[in-house]
Amino acid sequence: MAAQTEVKVPIRLSTRDQSIRLEQDAGVLLVQTTLKRPQLSALVNNLLRPDAQPIPFDILINGQFLRTTIDEFLTQNGISSETTLDVEYARAFVPPLNVSSFEHDDWVSAVDVWSQDVQSGQERILSASYDGLLRVWNTSGDVLATSTAPNNGGRITSLKTARWISDKKIAAAGLDNTVRVYKYDDESRTLTTTLELYNHRWGVEDIAVSASSSRLLSASSDTTISLFSTNPKDNPAAPTTLLPTSTTASNKRQKLSKPDRTVPSRGALATLAAHTAPVSSTIFKPSDPTVAYSTSHDHTLKTWDLTTASCVDTRTTGHALLSLTALPQLNLLATGTSARHITLIDPRASATQISAMTLRGHKNAVVSLDSDPSSEFHLLSGSHDGTAMVWDVRSVRSGAAGVDAEGRVGECVYSIERESIKGGSKTHAHGEGTKVFGVRWDKSVGIVSAGEDKRVQINRGIEL
Amino acid sequence: MGPNTNPRKRKAVTREAPPPASDSGEELADGLLDGILSHSEDSSDEDQDDNDDEGDYDSEASSVIEGLSDEDEEGDDESGFESEDEEQDIREQLRKLKTSDSSSHHHDTNMDFENGGEEGLEEQDDSLKPNYTVTTDANGNPRYLYKEIDPVYDSDDSAADVSNTIGNIDLSYYDEYPHIGYDINGKKIMRPAKGEALDALLDSIDIPKGWTGLTDPTTGKPLNLSAEELDVLKRLTRNEVLEDGYDPYPEMVHYFSGVKEIMPLSAAPEPKRRFVPSKHEAKRVMKIVKAIREGRIQPYKPLEEREEEDEQIHYDVWADEKPRPEKNMHIAAPKLPPPGYEASYHPPPEYLPDKEEEAAWLEQDEEDRERDFLPRNHEALRKVPGYENFVKERFERSLDLYLAPRVRRNKLNIDPESLLPKLPNPEDLKPFPTTCAAIFRGQEGRVRSVTFDPLGIYVASGGDDGYVRIWELLTGRQVWNVKLSDEEAVDSVKWRPDKDTSILAAAAGESVYMIIPFTILSPDIEQASRDILDAGWGYAASKPSTNTNGETKEPPGKWARPGTRIEAKGVLVQVTVRSTVKTINWHRKGDYFATVSPRGQSTAVAIHTLSKHLTQLPFRRLKGIAQTAQFHPSKAIFFVATKNSIRSYDLAKQELVKILQPGAKWISSIDVHPGGDNLLVGTYDKRLLWHDLDLSTKPYKTLRFHTAAIRAVRYHQGGLPLFADASDDGSMQIFHGKVVGDMMENATIVPLKVLKGHKVKSRLGVMDVDWHPREPWCVSAGADGTSRLWC
Repeated sequence: MAAQTEVKVPIRLSTRDQSIRLEQDAGVLLVQTTLKRPQLSALVNNLLRPDAQPIPFDILINGQFLRTTIDEFLTQNGISSETTLDVEYARAFVPPLNVSSFEHDDWVSAVDVWSQDVQSGQERILSASYDGLLRVWNTSGDVLATSTAPNNGGRITSLKTARWISDKKIAAAGLDNTVRVYKYDDESRTLTTTLELYNHRWGVEDIAVSASSSRLLSASSDTTISLFSTNPKDNPAAPTTLLPTSTTASNKRQKLSKPDRTVPSRGALATLAAHTAPVSSTIFKPSDPTVAYSTSHDHTLKTWDLTTASCVDTRTTGHALLSLTALPQLNLLATGTSARHITLIDPRASATQISAMTLRGHKNAVVSLDSDPSSEFHLLSGSHDGTAMVWDVRSVRSGAAGVDAEGRVGECVYSIERESIKGGSKTHAHGEGTKVFGVRWDKSVGIVSAGEDKRVQINRGIEL
Repeated sequence: MGPNTNPRKRKAVTREAPPPASDSGEELADGLLDGILSHSEDSSDEDQDDNDDEGDYDSEASSVIEGLSDEDEEGDDESGFESEDEEQDIREQLRKLKTSDSSSHHHDTNMDFENGGEEGLEEQDDSLKPNYTVTTDANGNPRYLYKEIDPVYDSDDSAADVSNTIGNIDLSYYDEYPHIGYDINGKKIMRPAKGEALDALLDSIDIPKGWTGLTDPTTGKPLNLSAEELDVLKRLTRNEVLEDGYDPYPEMVHYFSGVKEIMPLSAAPEPKRRFVPSKHEAKRVMKIVKAIREGRIQPYKPLEEREEEDEQIHYDVWADEKPRPEKNMHIAAPKLPPPGYEASYHPPPEYLPDKEEEAAWLEQDEEDRERDFLPRNHEALRKVPGYENFVKERFERSLDLYLAPRVRRNKLNIDPESLLPKLPNPEDLKPFPTTCAAIFRGQEGRVRSVTFDPLGIYVASGGDDGYVRIWELLTGRQVWNVKLSDEEAVDSVKWRPDKDTSILAAAAGESVYMIIPFTILSPDIEQASRDILDAGWGYAASKPSTNTNGETKEPPGKWARPGTRIEAKGVLVQVTVRSTVKTINWHRKGDYFATVSPRGQSTAVAIHTLSKHLTQLPFRRLKGIAQTAQFHPSKAIFFVATKNSIRSYDLAKQELVKILQPGAKWISSIDVHPGGDNLLVGTYDKRLLWHDLDLSTKPYKTLRFHTAAIRAVRYHQGGLPLFADASDDGSMQIFHGKVVGDMMENATIVPLKVLKGHKVKSRLGVMDVDWHPREPWCVSAGADGTSRLWC
């Protein structure tokens, strides 16, 4: 018995987080195999800064989170206690708990948070709804401003996406094929349309904003991506065929529907057309606003050079891609697919593999993605199965043997259910009534998700 | 010998001798012994008694009497007549003796009896008088002159001579012996039983029938049972039926048997009830069924009984028995040729080897020898010596058996798995739809038809509530709807196959509506669509179809504007035909569409030209009820499915190309493979048939996996080798159906997935199915009021 409890295993501590790196390498340590995560976390804290408030750490051994004792972990994975373990520690992920829910009149299709350069508590949450209205909320759940329904000649007004351009400007687009720029006045709490951008013939699925270059990208179901400038003057005149007044029928309808209130309408700087199926999502490259990425239902991820408006690179996967976000520090792009998983793709030309990693766990199409602003390894996904999931790309499990291309499979760290159905009936894969349409992870507000349950739900990890 | 024993003795005699009653009966008929029989029985008994007594007590006469009586007993075995005659003769002789010997001294010990006997004798004498007359002969002695004997049937008296075989010897000489003399053959004549022995015999025998030893309390007489009563008692003791004449085992009479009689008892034909299921039985069965349903009859044993059974301990003797190989391994010995002449012990000389051959044979190695023996001649079989190799051969054979490995070889060693057709693993045939990704809810009543728009962004559905609705694909959001009709259901919706415009055709009742759902369209697409619809206005008016007489015929289809209410929603054209339209199918270019209205006889199939607002009826007459019609995806060929056959017509040459006979009872739907060489047929009789148009008019494959009717079949039109069917059992089945361009190879069909989720409502399950134009996604219309997207 005594001999068993005294079994020790050599470990070597490491981390990928610069802020918590050990000043001097501790070398190989011998620890008892009966230790669990809290003891190892305390050990790291002792080594790191013995006097300060301890930080809870998660322990990863060989890419797997340690949830049991080291002994059991070694037995499970068939590792000898003689070998030196590479133990990686990372700031523990604090489970995001439900904070509040903002109720809407209709399905909420997208959500965005403005938290730059504002003091705590002054963050603004933007939600776009299928009823065609934009709403700006404060963090305590009050509607600060609501946009007015646009006059588009009796056509559908449902919004699909909305983004803050700055603290005063908002871009939104939807099924009426038009990208609109709104001016938000925090003082008078009004939302007014300042610009209508016409270039699409079918609904707009996603828009991306680059504040630094004041550029706007919109991805549409008509298989094109349009590049706009947020500055009205920079855009050319709108194509006349796409204006609501262009045809007699729609012009008549428009005149009948409302007194004309002129909003300047503009066209696109460039149209990026290389996809063969509806474009589902587009983003700017975080470090370089002249490069954009886009995903489409035609299974491809394309890299665009915006200065020449040309497609630079195409990565073809096996499934329709529905969402896109960047993990800048890892040089990876995460795309959600209709095949219920998230694929991490290295878009650099040097990358040989199409798929760097696959994150499996969702039961329906993954339609929204965001990265953790405080950690480069965490990823947030929203899916039509009614859950938002948090992933840690460090947690890697080798997949089925022989499947090298998608060999690395990650697992979900935390799953956020919809608050509206908590304790109710069990969720189905088709997520009827609970589909999540948009997620956003903000540093100060937390995880914001919007969905078919007509709510914006905020979850935040409460630090102890 | 007391007189009290006399009655018994008498009885014994009567038993031994023929019963007097019977005698009298017989004599009566004869009439000869009338006189004797007129006497009472008692007197005759006395008479005989007299004889016996004499035998007992008179020493001289007794011997004679004994002998006579002996004779008498022997004679009993013979016929009654003889004995009767003998008796008479004996009596006569006795009389003679008495008259001769003891006529002088009349005094005897038993005078009383003598007197009685005397009387009897006298009477007998009277009756015998006519036999002889007494005269005196020459010497003065009396002489008996006998009458002539009338030689009638029983006049013979020769038996009288056989009287005493022991001669005139006094029996006292034999006192010490058990016998009393010798018969003519020298055999001992045993002393007749007498005295105690006779008593014992009588004791054992003489209890009369029915004697009970009881006295009847009412009469005081001995209680004797009658023969009937005795019979009843006997039956009682045997446990038989008391009634007289009852036969417990009557012989069986086979009225009805398996044997077919030439002349049967009844030649009536078999009644109808032998062939008709019994209503009464059905009623009783239904009663039991009802009881089981209501739970009054528990179809299963109660649990307690089982527990009781469980309590019994069963020892499984063969629990750890290992299967042993079969021992019965008979390996037949190889057949040897029959021995020839040379193997004979005395072969013909030509078979005998000469010296050289013999030397050569001996020279040869044992294994090289052609024969393993040398023919030898022996004069006789007995000169054949013993077989010198016997021990050696036996040893080698044993060695062979010991060393040779014997393996049982199966005659046919085929793995049954290998006989199954090699189908690819469904996992390798991905992608195909596996789960329900979205539910389109909001319709009332059945959803009858669904269709994807050409870009795959929207789904349109039509149902029983008369609405046409458009849904956003992945989210399941309803983005547009219009109510076409209040009464009629929307039976079919089909999007026009053109990516630059967006026109939806919907059939409700007898009308087909052309819809531009402008609220989800951009102005230029809307305008392009409107242009296409508006192009034909006035065409029909400018060229009215006239027949030879110059009269204006009513056109088969009326193209009109549907009215402002729905025109404001985007429904722009209404085409009205003569009967309810059930199916719409577009030509690939979108200018023509075919409608099928099964009720319309000659107007069942109509082909409409959108650009000219023109409706044509290609078939004047159609055999059978038209079910559906479809255009060939690349050629000018038109497929029309009637109730149980499919015809393909060349539209350019206007001729019949082919008639397919799927062998189905009722075709529900067809779909043509995008390649154009294969056809899928779904039937209401649960079958899914794959026709290869190059092969035959019969189906290439018949798939029968559904438990209810198949309502719709659909090929994936976007290049994926998939097809799906929708069935009334609430499920859809996804198949892999790869068509290879090579003519040498047939299509591979692999069942992939059963998609379940739709509820069956009033025996209708999934009504329609359609594939996404590119992705392996399909959408289904359910009778439960939902449409579902399967990814």
